[in-house]
Amino acid sequence: MAAETTVPLDTRPRIHLEKVAKSFDGRVVVDVDDLVLGNHPIEGLIGPNGAGKTTLMRLIMHSTRLDRGRVALHPDGPESPPIVLSEMPTHHMAHHGLVKTNQVIMDFEKLTILDSLLLSVARSKDERPHRLFNEDEVYERRAEDIRAYLERFGFPDPLGYARSAGEKKLLDIIRCLLLAPRVLLLDEPAAGLPEDVRDRMMDVVKEKSASDGMSVVIVEHDLEVVWSLSEYVHFMAEGRVILQGDPEEIRQHDTVIEKYLGSEHAGS
Amino acid sequence: MNLGWLDAFLVSGLFFVVMVIGLALLLHLQLGLARIANFGVVGFWGIGMYTFGVLFVQVDWPFGEIWAFLLSVLGGVVMAGLSGLLIGWVIADLDIDGMLVGTLGFATVVLILATTQQNLTGGARGLGGLRFPYDVGAVKANESLWLLILTVVVALILYYVHRVHRVPYGRLLTALGDNEPLARSLGKATFRTKLWLFTLSSAGMGLLGAMFGVMERFLAVGNIGIEITLAAIVGLVLGGTARVWGGVVGVVLAVGFFDIVVQSYLPLPQEWYTQAIPVFREMLFGVVLIVVLMFRPFGVLGDMRRDKIMRRAHGS
Amino acid sequence: MQFVADAIVIGLTEHAPLVLAAMGFFLLYRLTGLINVAYSETITLGAYFGMWLNTTFGLGFYTILLPAAVISGLISVATYFAVFKPAKTRNVGALEMIIISLGLSVFLRHALQFVFGYPVRFFDVPLAGTINVLGVGVGSFSLLALGLVLALSFGLYWFIQKTNLGLQIRALASDDELAGASGIRPLLVTVLIWFTAGVAGGLAGAFYGVGSSVAPLLGWRQFLLILLVVLVGGARHIRGIIFTGIATGIVLAAVSLQLGQILYAQLILIVAFIVVLKVRGNPSADTAKV
Repeated sequence: MAAETTVPLDTRPRIHLEKVAKSFDGRVVVDVDDLVLGNHPIEGLIGPNGAGKTTLMRLIMHSTRLDRGRVALHPDGPESPPIVLSEMPTHHMAHHGLVKTNQVIMDFEKLTILDSLLLSVARSKDERPHRLFNEDEVYERRAEDIRAYLERFGFPDPLGYARSAGEKKLLDIIRCLLLAPRVLLLDEPAAGLPEDVRDRMMDVVKEKSASDGMSVVIVEHDLEVVWSLSEYVHFMAEGRVILQGDPEEIRQHDTVIEKYLGSEHAGS
Repeated sequence: MNLGWLDAFLVSGLFFVVMVIGLALLLHLQLGLARIANFGVVGFWGIGMYTFGVLFVQVDWPFGEIWAFLLSVLGGVVMAGLSGLLIGWVIADLDIDGMLVGTLGFATVVLILATTQQNLTGGARGLGGLRFPYDVGAVKANESLWLLILTVVVALILYYVHRVHRVPYGRLLTALGDNEPLARSLGKATFRTKLWLFTLSSAGMGLLGAMFGVMERFLAVGNIGIEITLAAIVGLVLGGTARVWGGVVGVVLAVGFFDIVVQSYLPLPQEWYTQAIPVFREMLFGVVLIVVLMFRPFGVLGDMRRDKIMRRAHGS
Repeated sequence: MQFVADAIVIGLTEHAPLVLAAMGFFLLYRLTGLINVAYSETITLGAYFGMWLNTTFGLGFYTILLPAAVISGLISVATYFAVFKPAKTRNVGALEMIIISLGLSVFLRHALQFVFGYPVRFFDVPLAGTINVLGVGVGSFSLLALGLVLALSFGLYWFIQKTNLGLQIRALASDDELAGASGIRPLLVTVLIWFTAGVAGGLAGAFYGVGSSVAPLLGWRQFLLILLVVLVGGARHIRGIIFTGIATGIVLAAVSLQLGQILYAQLILIVAFIVVLKVRGNPSADTAKV
């Protein structure tokens, strides 16, 4: 099941969480002692609702403050010097190659689909107040990628607005992909997508992971997606990562899985 | 050049309208695009005006008047820009309440300083001694030329805003006002962007203030009230907060109607003009804000149409 | 030492209405979550109606207080039904609501001039005797006014915190759906809040007006300070407003005495409050949406 990758495993980025904890209103939402993400090109993060998966993602992105602990990015493999993400503001994450999609639909209502994509590809020097004539330049620079995505996912009207929830979800993912991330955190990417679009999305993620050396961590409730995409799965419950292993191992802990995820996924 | 046909009131009326258009355009960038609530427009406008006036009149410049004039204007612009930098820094990560208080507070501080620093500003009595940097004849001729210069300046601001909507910078501002956390997650430095936007647009407001001071040839504290801010907001809201031409259309309809049509061309009893008309004008402005925001929140011109902009730019 | 006594006495007597106005504003702010700029006009209209009753019918100041307060309360309720309720029904955004309230404020401030005239007006009350308080000569009038203002402020505080109706108001403020489900009638309580806020504002206006003059900008001149007192003092508890309001009054008096100019006092307070707000920062920064 492992994807063929041109980028050797030990130079791929890792995210290391150490003693990370977060509570809301006195209730512990995340409590992770030592977790490394990215040892495999595509990893899954599953668990029941309220397990803390999305909060964990937000802590990594530092859009939520940590109560304690440290999140570090090792951009070129586990031995490379760490970049401490938990000391940085959220908008620095993309510069270090870390992006996250959104579980809940997040969109720019005033921007067209193409606007969203161009927003993503624009660098900060393109967006200075005195740059008044560089629209075409910015477009041309990434025109190939943009056109490839638009074609691949068949948006009926890219010069118009994203209308359906599915389109907005997809747009969120493509925006992140256009940032050419080194680590992509997908938060329930399949939710709200029609099946064929979902499959196309999974193919793109798999390809990018293989060809560009992008590490992917995918939070999902749709277990078909998890089993087929990831080579390693983390199982979270009540704020802790309580199981880790390849999909077969996880599926076989059927008592635990049955309790949380339903018997149709237990066993083989 | 015979300007007998040109009514003196018309010139000053037009000047005011064009100036408020300029303010509304700058406010459009702040409020319409980036959703920065600026209730203290008059503060930045006023500090530009007063800094220019004080520098021009109170400083003993060692060189020719034209240089003194230009440096004073520059001083006004820089002071307004620095104020924008400071206040922008204060409000860029605050919520709406914070923005309201920060900008309104700043405008109040400017008013207080203008009133209390009598040695510099003339206080409540005001400060005269301002002049046009040229002399082409009668007062009306000088004023008309200055109106022309102002029109060029505001036309440039309009062109700037028009271009902004069509480039990545404008897209960023729009995204920022639309969904700031999402923009940040894409790596956009939203605080810094808002800060520089506010700095530059405040400098622009200061320039307009300085130019007004020149036109009036007098600094009066009475100008630093809510009326200027209100005129800009009403014009922008009426025309359309999110549109390039919103401020232009709205200010012409609201301020233009009163200051030009009513002032100069409607045959109303003379004594109405001292109190009744100005009071009625402000009253109507208040009603316009309520009615427009309740029933047609995007103003006369409607909502932003980026799809039209994009089709024109990228349609193939 | 005399300076401190002066500052406290003058601060309390001259600026006591600030506390009352701040509490009224706080009621609305807590209920709606939004800043109602037009609240400053309930203050102004309280002064105008009080003055009108006083000069037209020759009624004494204490006689006109209750009717002026009630009229302000009714006007406040009227603005709710005419402007704020319909706006909420149309799902007007937070920023737009504030601009609407600014529009209402400007409208009222100028419309009243067509009713009461353009010139500045005055209450017609006899010159009260002065009482020596801690070495400061204070009009017995102002002293009684202070007493009334403080009594009303504490009364309001007690009403909100300790009574059943007050509990309902607080419940409504935090979640109106939930409050409705538990049997509280939102409309009735909402109207009561708007009325009470209007009463508080109107009373403050009457006291402001009798102390100086009655002009269209009376309320607006106090607005920024009221807003700052509420934002800084009322963030956690309604008690904070009383303390912050009193402290503000004393600081205003102290600085004016020291520097001879009340405008400097206002300037210092504005800057100080904004610094506090900035340092305190945005509590919502912790709950991320992305």
